[in-house]
Amino acid sequence: MNSKENNHSHHDHEHDHAHSHLPSDPELRVKAIETLLLSKGLIDPNTLDELIDTYENNIGPQNGAKVVAKAWVDKDYKKRLLENATSAIRELSYQGRQGENMVVVENTPEIHNVVVCTLCSCYPWPVLGIPPTWYKSDEYRSRAVREPRKVLSEFGLNIDPKVQIKVWDSTAELRYLVLPMRPFGSENMNEAELAELVTRNSMIGTGLPENVK
Amino acid sequence: MSRLHDMGGRFGNGPIPLYKNENNKVEDNEPTFKYDWHAKAWAVTLAAGALGQWNLDISRHYRECLPPKDYMNFSYYEKWLAALTNLLVDKKLVSLDEIKKFVDLAKTNNLDPELIKNIKLDQRTWLAKDVQKTLGWGGPSLRSTKNEPIYKIGDNIITLKHNPNKDVKGGHTRLPTYAMGKIGKVYSYNGSHVLPDTNAHGNGETPTPLYTVEFKAMELWGASAENENDLVYLDLWQPYFTLNT
Repeated sequence: MNSKENNHSHHDHEHDHAHSHLPSDPELRVKAIETLLLSKGLIDPNTLDELIDTYENNIGPQNGAKVVAKAWVDKDYKKRLLENATSAIRELSYQGRQGENMVVVENTPEIHNVVVCTLCSCYPWPVLGIPPTWYKSDEYRSRAVREPRKVLSEFGLNIDPKVQIKVWDSTAELRYLVLPMRPFGSENMNEAELAELVTRNSMIGTGLPENVK
Repeated sequence: MSRLHDMGGRFGNGPIPLYKNENNKVEDNEPTFKYDWHAKAWAVTLAAGALGQWNLDISRHYRECLPPKDYMNFSYYEKWLAALTNLLVDKKLVSLDEIKKFVDLAKTNNLDPELIKNIKLDQRTWLAKDVQKTLGWGGPSLRSTKNEPIYKIGDNIITLKHNPNKDVKGGHTRLPTYAMGKIGKVYSYNGSHVLPDTNAHGNGETPTPLYTVEFKAMELWGASAENENDLVYLDLWQPYFTLNT
């Protein structure tokens, strides 16, 4: 941020990478760095606890499920969600880090959407939380754009060849959420009951909502 | 040419690492963090980032610049931790000697709790009381500028054949190799956003029009595309493509 680097990319040419001094056990690596930063007053231990607690308990796919369920029961909300997802999601108080600019893409009988980040692991944190391991894996990142149908079949999802697949590669700071189709037989369920049917994978496009029992 | 992180479309990777239950159904309830050290690596990285010595694009580029053998061997949070360590030293928040000292203490089980007792926090340190507020703001990349987009929805475009980053060799960019030199169509316009190609190198935010561009799977993958009707969408900044006339 402070220095102009024009001719080469920062530490490419340095031989002594700081990270090469870290121990092989990752647990020890974290412990060493964490303790060093704590000893210098550069991180507050309460901040670490607050962050972890927030994403373990308050921010996760249960938020996205409420957005989806509301869109299923409220036509006007669905319209707002598809037109301006960021503000519609903010109506439910979900906003901020890694979801500053949201886009919602709708599944229909003709179109199935699926989201990936081939370059890193971009994911809509305010509505889905921290991405699962498979989303961050080389396997998903490399294959989802080229062979989405084969990838989805590994999730147990076989898409009819007549249905068009749209893959959204999150290459910028827009974050994508899939609006899955409302399950058959859910006509008499209320918003809270519907939210229970919405799975994390159905909002990434690698799964469907639960069937009505 | 590109770096190892730029893996979209690459051949050779096996099945998606999924957990299945006894009914052969994919488990969809993975916990937020599988191990305590994952949670710690993640939280320490966020908290250190909040010191304001680097931006999101710089931290991404540091992960991409890990030596290829490390990038391939490290698990996800090991990459985060390695990049964080390099950033901490490069941005002079800690010295290499301090890293070595604390690594030795950790290896010999000598990280005494006294080391972190009654520590006065740095002025820049992210306080627990501010966490919710800061998360709620996030770090928007959208900027209001007078930049008018030069392309319109429906325009036929062709992406650059090479890395759009002209200032830095091997520099950061968000145009993946698989979408270089390909013909697509402007699908939507998303306003001007911070340009990672400059921001990742500390060379300014350079707000630039950002579009979503639609590509046919057949254009990207040729005969190996799975279905002639399938589409792939990427979010691309204006300098990443030109009109296809």
